[in-house]
Order: sequence, then structure tokens, then C-alpha cells
Amino acid sequence: MNLLSHRRELGEFKKRYKWMALFAIACFSVLFLMLVKLQLVEREHWASMARANITKTVTLPPTRGILRDARGRVIASNRPSYEVYITPQLIRPQDIDLFSSLMEFTEAEREAFIARLEAVPAYRRTHQIQMFTDVSRDQVASLETHHDDLPGVDVVARPVRHYPYGSLGAHAIGYLNEVSAEDLERYKDQGFRPGQRIGRSGIEQSLESILRGQPGYRRSVVDARGRRQEDHESVSDIVPEDVRPVPGRDAVLTLDMELMRSIHRAFRGHPSGAAVVVDVHTGKIRALYSKPSYDLNMRSGRLPHDVYQEMLENPFRPLIDKTIYESYFPGSTFKPFSSLAALRDGEIEPSTRFTCKGAYHIGRQRMRCTSAHGEVDARTALIRSCNVYFYRIAEMIGLENIDRVAREFGLGARTGIGINSESAGFLATRKWYEEKFGRFRIGYTLNTAIGQGNTRVTLLQLALSYAAIANGGTLYAPQLIERIEAPDGTAIEEPAPQVARKLDFDPEHIKLIQEAMRGVVNREGGTAYDARIPGGVIVAGKTGTAEVITSREHRERISDEVDERLRRYLTRSHGWFGGFAPADDPEVAIIVLVEHGGAGGRTAAPIATQVLEEYLGSRDLALAQRRN
Amino acid sequence: MALVRSLRDQFDWALFFAVSALTILGVINLYSATSQHPTLSGLYISQIYKLAMGAAIAAFAVAIDYRHFERNAWSIYVGGIVLLIIVFMVGTTTRGSVRWIHFGSFTLQPSELVKISLIIALAKYLHNDPKSGGRTLKDLVPPGLILALPMTLIVLQPDLGTALICAAIFGSIMVLTNLKLRSLITLALSFIAAIPFAWEYLMRDYQKERVLALIARWSGDTSNILDTGWHAHQSVIAIGSGGVTGKGFMRGTQSQFGFVPDQHSDFPFAVWSEEFGFLGSVLLLGLYLFIVLWGLRIASQAKDRFGAVMAVGVTAMIFWQAVINLAMVMGLLPVVGMTLPLFSYGGSSMLSTMIGLGLLMNVSMRRFSF
Repeated sequence: MNLLSHRRELGEFKKRYKWMALFAIACFSVLFLMLVKLQLVEREHWASMARANITKTVTLPPTRGILRDARGRVIASNRPSYEVYITPQLIRPQDIDLFSSLMEFTEAEREAFIARLEAVPAYRRTHQIQMFTDVSRDQVASLETHHDDLPGVDVVARPVRHYPYGSLGAHAIGYLNEVSAEDLERYKDQGFRPGQRIGRSGIEQSLESILRGQPGYRRSVVDARGRRQEDHESVSDIVPEDVRPVPGRDAVLTLDMELMRSIHRAFRGHPSGAAVVVDVHTGKIRALYSKPSYDLNMRSGRLPHDVYQEMLENPFRPLIDKTIYESYFPGSTFKPFSSLAALRDGEIEPSTRFTCKGAYHIGRQRMRCTSAHGEVDARTALIRSCNVYFYRIAEMIGLENIDRVAREFGLGARTGIGINSESAGFLATRKWYEEKFGRFRIGYTLNTAIGQGNTRVTLLQLALSYAAIANGGTLYAPQLIERIEAPDGTAIEEPAPQVARKLDFDPEHIKLIQEAMRGVVNREGGTAYDARIPGGVIVAGKTGTAEVITSREHRERISDEVDERLRRYLTRSHGWFGGFAPADDPEVAIIVLVEHGGAGGRTAAPIATQVLEEYLGSRDLALAQRRN
Repeated sequence: MALVRSLRDQFDWALFFAVSALTILGVINLYSATSQHPTLSGLYISQIYKLAMGAAIAAFAVAIDYRHFERNAWSIYVGGIVLLIIVFMVGTTTRGSVRWIHFGSFTLQPSELVKISLIIALAKYLHNDPKSGGRTLKDLVPPGLILALPMTLIVLQPDLGTALICAAIFGSIMVLTNLKLRSLITLALSFIAAIPFAWEYLMRDYQKERVLALIARWSGDTSNILDTGWHAHQSVIAIGSGGVTGKGFMRGTQSQFGFVPDQHSDFPFAVWSEEFGFLGSVLLLGLYLFIVLWGLRIASQAKDRFGAVMAVGVTAMIFWQAVINLAMVMGLLPVVGMTLPLFSYGGSSMLSTMIGLGLLMNVSMRRFSF
């Protein structure tokens, strides 16, 4: 080959170099334009994403305020729950054996753990995943000992709510559970995050904003695996921040948990009922008791579905707060209000007597009394709970007068306690009867006077109205909060007792009612005479036995019940007792309701006298001991 | 003296400086990308050794008159094929593919070297080809077979990225020849027709996922950025957040905190771009474009077909690898295992690039000699 031939053969290629160069320039221009787009035009967008990548903000939850009772006993506090976080990426096969033995897994638990590990999607494998909650202290100790051998296992302590009294007072105290999507929307500006807990009922709910405190946060710089970077100053200008959470405030309640426990003891043998105790001079609530109840520690944790289902179907209705949410026919506990209405109206004198022959005839209807009481005046009518007397005065004064007095005592309207969807109860008016039954009959008035009409009251309403009778005519608003305290114990707020209304009754008339109520328990023939504790605190009060079968629907519902014993139970009347003590210088008013307990004097009154004896008697003893 | 003077005068300083600049910047970037890493922190030292070794072999490739390569072209080609067969016998399997041969502590990836032997074989074939223009598809069959043999072996490993580069080198060389327009169109159409076939039978699931991830990126769908689109997404964040002047050496958060994937092998440009910004990136782009254009200039000045085809082949190899890698790092192409020549860490790719550049220099210098 000579030089010339080489040159000739190359001619074929010569035309192409220019096009190749242009193609290369075109390709690089595309890359250049892409750089312009990413680095010049969209820089801010990508820079913020880069910042977000390395910024990790961890919310530091505040410690929830502690609830105490009036005597300083802890009702709700916080304890650490140990939770195990697993980073699947860092778990080696041999780690599974070690971890399983430290956790003392059974073979099945071990298999379940492996299955859960494998189910973690690829993109989450470098993240910490919460796998076990509330592990025992022994397990925590074992895991901590082997911490260096298990880099993918972390134990984190998280505070959980603890209720030392378990189920006692559960309805009033309330529980927490996880915030829902709606809560997050509703409390957007209050810093709630998914997974946090919020007061769901009772005082935990109503004092949420006081107890919760303010969350803090920690902003740190992390790498791609989420590990915290300490010496990042050379790389980023992100300033780590550490804002400590502000703990919630503590609340001292007016409740007395020993009194509650005493009520619980006194209710032994009765499956279902409720009781309220209030201070007659302040309206401070000393006890809100509803039976049956549920364990707040369980309700605040992860309540198993079957347990919840069981509570829903339980005929004694553990989920219902029977002191505030439910309302009842008051039965004869209503009679003092009828008496006061008639006395104020001037239709009768305290000494006015009527004769009870065991029944009362109105038109063709015959309305029965509990027995033939003979000659009764205002006092004996209450002591022996004579229906005929009240039929007579009802006929004389009319429904409006009775309703008015009831309303003045706070019945038929919410007391404003502020927890658990309070019921207003119900006062039936003439108009209501006309609309409901087509026309008004005088019988409705008579039934209303003995608490068997369509009047419905809550235990709380009744307790406050009995307190008003006991203190001579001042109706207090209910008070649950004794004091709000800072975490160091200094008082921030001490709500003063609030008077709802000064009642306008002749003091003599109120005194008469008080004396009659004292007679109910302490005079032979009084309906609660058998419940008195000789030599104990002198209790005044009124019994009630409220029939529960008042409508056809109700009767049908009960007759659907298969269990014969339960059916008989459900048709029995509610037993009531409302009263105050000590009778001479009243301090507290009490309402006891034994659902389907039968005669109030036999079932509810003994509970009340026993509770008051334990509450006031023991205190008197303690006072006496201190004096010596 | 005359020899020294002629070496000084004939030596291609422009090519030398451009390549030196890229390799030095590559080592600096590698230092930034790996020095914070617990196990990779010494990598830049190893890269300097590999560079030195590559430079020595390149010097060897420069020193020998390339006509010796022409004379021994078929032996070199066969040698490459033998290496590829040896891989299947003694190679080690990594991430499901057999690519590497171990000699003690040194690892060799034969498919990288085969790119060079393929270029030499194609140059030899065209050098001896009596035809000069007016080529039809029939004329593509012999060189096509020269490509097919090593490419099949590489696909079987499987190493799709390298196979693709071999095909691109072949295509670029064939464009050099005067192929008839009709043949060119037929070729292009059959290539398009082959795409669904390749999708169905050649591509693995993870490869398809990457392509789909890219399509999702372009359609604005961000749902996959946590898994299949993660690499491309983090790389683009690194580049974009660099801005005009970059975050500074060793101060790229995406690079230093491990968000940029495979930062020393496949994604070093993202690290560079984040820390040196638009200006640094354009500098790098400019250097690559310069080498490509300079390589074409060398080819155009070559004294024979062998030299011209070899120069075009080496230039095409560097061009395609650089463009595909940069486009992938910027999120323009799906993520394929493709290193950035001269800039990425890696012995075998460094070796093949250096040999290729040695040959290019050889062609450049010999343009004066005959």
C-alpha cells in the first residue's frame, strides 16, 4: 500500500465528521439546558427539598397534668411505657435469635415477629418501626444489656396515663385515646399530631386544654439513614433547635376518692346504680359514682374489640354515665318540691290534713296509695310518702305550679357541670301533654306530683336541689375543680363556688321539709326508718320507688329478653334515696339510685346512711382524735 | 534532541491537558464523595494508583506505532473474546451478574477491555474493506457479526450498559461509512421495531422499573420517589440545589449525608454539581465536549482508515458513556449502570478509557509521520 491509496480511501469518511460534531454539540446542549433548568431556574425548589432531606423535627410531647382528689390523692398520673422500635435494615439473621430469646418469645411469637419484619416495605426498612408496646421491665433490662449486640433494636420510654383507682369514678374522670382525623382538623392550630392522645370523656376531656401543656420540638440534622449528625456545621447551615415542652397543669378535683370507694362498697350486691354527693354550702361535688364501670387503664390503652362489644351489650350498661348522662323518673323523691309548691301557693297550711283511705278517686279512675295512711298533714305525708295527700294538693295547685318549683330547683335544665354530654332531664308541660296525648287529663298532674308523670331528672340535678333544701334555699352550680396548679404546686386558679339561684321560699316551709325528711329516716313509720344507723350520724332524706314500666314499647323491649331472671329484674322499680346529713347542720347532700332495686327505703336508703356514716362519722372521729 | 523536539511538537498537548484536568477533578470529587464514608474513605488513593497505572499503559499505547495494532487486530479481537469466555468460567457473581475476574486483589472487568478490541477489529475490517461508498445493508453483515459475538457474550453476563455502548460504538463507526439513505432508514425502522421485543425478552424487571420510574418522573408523578425513583430523585435534588456556584467543596448535604446513591461510581457528577454548582458543571460539560470534538478532529486528520475509524470509535465510546451517564444523573434517562469516563471511580473503565485515549493520541501523533 502506498500513501496515495490511503488518502483516496479516506474520502468516503470526510463528509461525516461535521455531522458527528453537530450531533455531539446538540446532545451537550440538551444537557446544558437541563443544567440551566435545574440549577438556575428551579434552584429554590430543589434547595428546599435538600433542606427537608436533612432536617428532622421531632415533636417532644409534654407531660400531661396530674389529677388529684380533694384530699390530694392521685387520680390520674403518667407512667413510662417501654416500646421497642426495630430498624429492619439493621437486623441480621443472628439478631432474630438473640432478640427472640431476650423477649422470651414462644415459637409462634417468633414466627409472627419474623413475618412482621418481612412485611415491612423496602423504602421503610431504614426507618425505626414500633413493633412492641408496653414491654415488661425485665425485657427492657435484657434488651438494654445487649444494646450493643442489637444495633437495630431501640427501646423508647413513652409516658402513658395511669389511673390508680382503675374503674372507680371512671365516667367522671374520663380516659384518653388517639386523636382522630376529625380532631386533627378541629384542633389544627393547637399542635396535635397523629398518634397523640386526647381526653375523650369526663374531666380528662373537659380539662384537655389545661392538662395537655405545650409540645416542644427538637430539630436536628440527619443523614440519609435518619442518623443524627452532630458535627454538621461544616456541611449545612441548619440550626438545630431544642424547645422543651411545657408540662400541663395539674388539677385538684372536688371529688373524694375514699368517699367514692365507700359508695362502691355500699353498692355491693346491686349490679347497677349510681350515686352523687355534693357539698351543700358550695356545690362542690364529692362523689360521682356510676355502676357498673370500666377500668380506665384498659380504656385508655388499646381496648380489645370483644371487650368493647361486651360492654355495649351488657344489660347493666357500663358505658352510660348514670349520674349525668342518663335521666330517670324521680318517683317520690320529687314530693318535697310538690309540698313546697302547695305551701308557697297558700292553698294549704302545714297543718292542713287530708284523709288517706288507700286510694284516690278522680273521675272514674282509682289511683292507689302505698297503704291507708289515715289523717296526714304536710309532715306525715312526706314521712310516710302518702300518695293520696299529694294527689289532693296537685289537684288544688295544678301542673304549672309544680313545674315552676321544679324548674326553680334546677330540674329540667342542664346544671352546666361541663362533662359527659349532660342531660337536661325533662319537665312535661300542659302543652306537651296535649301534643303528645291529644288532650290534657288531670291524672297527669297527679302523677307529676308523686314523680311518676313524665318528669325526668338526673342524679346531679336532684343532688343539687336537695342541697338547696338542706342549706335553706341556695341552689349552687356544680363544681368539680377545686384548684388548678402549676407543676410546682402553686395555685393558678381556684374557682369560687357559684350560686345558681337564691330560691324564694318561706324559711319556715323549708324548715318543715327538712324536719319531715329527718323524720323519714328517724321516725318510726318513716319509709327509711329501717335504714337509720342508731347512734350514728343523723341523716335526713326522702325515699323513692320509681316504676319503670311506663310505656308499651318499654314493656315489649323487656319481654324480648330471653333470660327469665333478667326479665324479672328489668321490670322491677328503681329504688331512690335523696337526703342530707348531718340533719342538724347539713354538710353534704346525697342521691342514691339503685336501678331495679325495688323499694327505695329498703335498697337505696341503707346505702346512703352507710356511706354518710363512713364519710361524716369517721371524719368526726378523726376530728375528735385531733382535739384530744 | 531531534526526537525530543519532535515528541514535543507532535504530542497532542490539548488532549493531554483536557484529559488530565478531568482526571484531577475526578480525584478531587472522589475525595469529597467518599472521605466521610466509613469504608470508602481511602478510595481516592486507590484511584490515584489506578490513574498512574492507566497512564503507564496509555503511554505504552502511544509509544507503539498504531499500525502494529492494525497488523495484530484479529489477535487482539480474539483475545477479547477469550477473556469474555473466561469470565463465565472463573468470574464472580455480583448482584446477579458475572462480570469480574479476580487476580489477587486486582479485579478486571473484561467487557470494558472488549470495547477497545471491538474498536480495533472494526477499524481493521474497514481498513481492509475494498468498498468506498455506496454501502447497503449487506455490507453491514460482516462488521455486524464482529459486533454480535462479543455483544452476545456481554448480554449473557448480563451487562446491558456495556452491551449498549458496544452497539453505540458500532453504530457511530458505521455512520462514518457512506451508507445509502434507504439502508439507513431501514436500519432505523428495524431498531424501533426491536424495542418491544427487547422490552419483553431482554430487559429484567428492575430495568423496566427504572424506565417506568423515569416516565413517571416526566409525567409529574412523585409516588415512586421512595423506591424505584429514589436514586434519580435524590440525584436531581443534589444537582438542582447546587445553584450557580454550588455549596462548596465537601459541603454538599446530599453528597455528604448519603442521599446521592453510588456517588463514587455512577453518580459522581451529582456530587460535583451540588458542590461546584452550575459553573463547575458547565466546566465539566465543556471538557467532555472538547475531548469529543478534538477526537473527531484527530479522526479527520488521520492518515489511514484504521486510524480514522479507531479515533471515531474511541471518541464515540467516551461520548456515549458521558452523555448517557450525565443524562441519567440529571434524570433525563433511566438509571443504567454506566460510569462517567475519567471521572468515576473504577479500575477497568479507567483502564479501557486510558488505552482508548492512548490510541487516540497515537493516531494524533502519527498524522505527521507518514
